[in-house]
Amino acid sequence: MIVKISFYSYFKDLTGCAQTSATLPAGSTIEELLKTLEARFPKLGPMRKSLLSAVGVDYQTRNYTLKDGDEVSLFPPVQGG
Amino acid sequence: MLRQLTISAEPIVEADLICQRKLSPTTGAVVHFLGLVRGTEAGTAINALQYEAFKRMAEHQFHLLFDQMEQRWPIESVRLVHRIGTVTVSQPSLWVEVIAPHRGEAFAACQWLIDEMKRVVPIWKKPLSGPAQQ
Repeated sequence: MIVKISFYSYFKDLTGCAQTSATLPAGSTIEELLKTLEARFPKLGPMRKSLLSAVGVDYQTRNYTLKDGDEVSLFPPVQGG
Repeated sequence: MLRQLTISAEPIVEADLICQRKLSPTTGAVVHFLGLVRGTEAGTAINALQYEAFKRMAEHQFHLLFDQMEQRWPIESVRLVHRIGTVTVSQPSLWVEVIAPHRGEAFAACQWLIDEMKRVVPIWKKPLSGPAQQ
């Protein structure tokens, strides 16, 4: 399956892109996606503890099971105000 | 509960927002908050903050917060404006207004909304120390 990934804030600088995609085995979780992305973008690795993840417009935890076509967003802690 | 949410690169004009205020005979309290960009960030002088939002998710998360506000307090109206783009020092980045029958719930809801916004709404800021681009 293929999922789309968007990066926000300084994650765009760490990865050098705002969007990418990943091909994963069916039933993969966000945790497994992160491992794949950390291999491609090593600078993401140190962000793991503080990284927030969403699918569509809702936050999801690392054990969320992804579906084909999901739009995943990854970003650092928010800073509004 | 009336809701009005604006996430925009346009400047916040507080006078215009106050002119648009709608009150009812049950209104007893209007609390409004104006957040400004400070001239320092983490101890370093800056000229501006560059705000970025994941706008679709930010709008969704704000409305989830408004839903919770409505359940917790008898709020009549909430209006919130958050800037994106470049906001120079001393200019407003956030305006929030909560209208309720009594001041206790208006203050509490306004404080809660801003605290929760800083926790869950996907907006980020980047300090700019060079000449600001509008």
